[in-house]
Amino acid sequence: MSDIYIICVEDEAQVLDVVIRDLEQLEEFFPIEGAASASDARKLINEIKEEGNRIGLILCDHIMPGDKGVDLLIEMQKDEFTHSTRKILLTGQAGLDDTIQAVNKARLNQYVSKPWKKEELLQIVIDELTDYVIETEDELLPYLSVLNQEKLQEAIRAKGFI
Amino acid sequence: MNYPKKHSALHLTEESTRSLYDKDTFVQNINQLITESELLKSLLKTFEEGDVLLEEGMPNKTLYVVLEGEVSQHKDGEDITADTGLLGPGEFCGLLSFQTGEPIFITIKAQSRVKTLAFDHNNFELFYTKYPEISRTLHGLIFANLAERYRNMLGLHLEVAKLTRELEKEKNHLRKVIKELERTRNAYISQEKMATLGELTAGLAHEINNPASALLRSVDYLSQNLSQLIESSAKLPSSWEIRYFFEAGLSREYADSVEQRERMKKLAGVFSHIQRSKLRLVAEMNDDLIKRLMQYSSKKSQQELLNLLIDAYQSGLFLNGIRISTGRIEFLVKSLKSYSRQSGKNPELADIRNGIRETLQILGHRLKSVKVHLDLEEIPEINCFVGELNQVWTNLIINACDAMKDSGNLYISCGVNTTNAQVWVEVADDGPGVPDKIKKKIFNPSFTTKTAGGDFGLGIGLAITQGVIEKHQGSISINDSEGGGAKFLITFPIDV
Repeated sequence: MSDIYIICVEDEAQVLDVVIRDLEQLEEFFPIEGAASASDARKLINEIKEEGNRIGLILCDHIMPGDKGVDLLIEMQKDEFTHSTRKILLTGQAGLDDTIQAVNKARLNQYVSKPWKKEELLQIVIDELTDYVIETEDELLPYLSVLNQEKLQEAIRAKGFI
Repeated sequence: MNYPKKHSALHLTEESTRSLYDKDTFVQNINQLITESELLKSLLKTFEEGDVLLEEGMPNKTLYVVLEGEVSQHKDGEDITADTGLLGPGEFCGLLSFQTGEPIFITIKAQSRVKTLAFDHNNFELFYTKYPEISRTLHGLIFANLAERYRNMLGLHLEVAKLTRELEKEKNHLRKVIKELERTRNAYISQEKMATLGELTAGLAHEINNPASALLRSVDYLSQNLSQLIESSAKLPSSWEIRYFFEAGLSREYADSVEQRERMKKLAGVFSHIQRSKLRLVAEMNDDLIKRLMQYSSKKSQQELLNLLIDAYQSGLFLNGIRISTGRIEFLVKSLKSYSRQSGKNPELADIRNGIRETLQILGHRLKSVKVHLDLEEIPEINCFVGELNQVWTNLIINACDAMKDSGNLYISCGVNTTNAQVWVEVADDGPGVPDKIKKKIFNPSFTTKTAGGDFGLGIGLAITQGVIEKHQGSISINDSEGGGAKFLITFPIDV
């Protein structure tokens, strides 16, 4: 079974540290990788692809040197490999225009503004990952301990496995 | 002095005077007399249109009585010539200068063909003795003429007083209008300032949110880690080791994310028992630290100790993050405070480079993808309003960013021109530049290339910029920069 990765893109190292730390409890099931820019993220995505793994969720800052977060998300939406990746913008400031673009063109799933609360961020990531595994995985049972149980149970019932 | 226009609106001339010494009757009488009087015939003098009867400033020995036609009167003022009206039959020309011997007061020109009687002092006497009847009328007319002049003068005084009053009223009105205009202008300026402020706060939100996020989360994790560390430190052979890892975390250097991933893969074999999240931390440690950790890696029983050291390292990281984040917030707040400092009534001696640096700091969010090339030479302090100059730097930098769509090169340099005692600052970008056609009007208020609605500003940013610079007796001009972008050159005199 291939791994489902979580990618965090954030140009400020101190912020990247705490984002990753916030999500640490998910790492048992979903390896987490960090990238400091959109171009770093692209390299990372390629590597993950080459290793035969997948990307379940990306948590992305918007204002960064080089390409902006929204640009990266739009690109990922167009790419088949990352099309179904859940996309979350984590930002202190994204203009209305950029945000509209992200929603319309990148099918942005969530927008989290900085500073965030750990519980909120974690809940959002868990919910999005739950949606992702329901959409892409046949075997949902292993995720019961870490993701949204209610949603998973409902999906399992709907799929008629139990 | 103001002179009444042709047939001035004086109502002081009374009908009674006219009937007593009627000009028309007088002229009629004279015309009758002429046919039989050699004296009067000899006095007849005719002028063609445009001829000058009397010239201002010259001595005068002749008194003209107009019999036919009209003459015009001109008075030369300091820088203005006034037409003071026409004189017709029965009127006198040169009366005052003739009687008093003073130079001619007013220039008289024939307006058409003019027939006159031209008296000199001799034949004036002669006329008196020969025609006592008609001389009485002449006398009366002379008096009436003088009286009218006196009335005119009084009328003029009144007119002047009235005009002065109106002028005063007008002046007060104008003063009010100017005040109003100033208020409107200030309102516009503060609106533009608000627009800049909007831009700045948006940026500041980002600039502060990042360190604030790091700060909040780091404090949480540090408190968790610390209590754990204290609890479990007793299990370690020496607490010195914990401190060693803690301090290593504190002085950590940030690793390249791709490289770190490579290291992680390699280390996964060595540290097979630890979680991936811990392994990520190990991957960024230096060889010395990794070697130390290896002692605990082989046995599963020592995993707790291994984790403890990694936690100590992470605690160092978080503390370092806290330090960096608070430092950044402090610096930002300091910059902001100094940036937004209200200018006093009087300028102060200041190094304008500080303002430029602070402005760059405040606008950091716009400059993430802009490479800023600073070449700020040593320059003398100048007398200036620091807060207002910051508005200048802000406008120029934001304009450059807009032009480059937030990615490109920004060049800011400054220096001294000793030949004309000036400090200069140059702000250039490598955006698309400004077409020559537009260069001329770029400093005009309300000139904008930004479409309405999408932007905060009113399009008076550069007009305000120019205003502020001129207030400092400086100048601003726009040129093409070598790379094709726009280049603004600002100069300030050193001794203001």
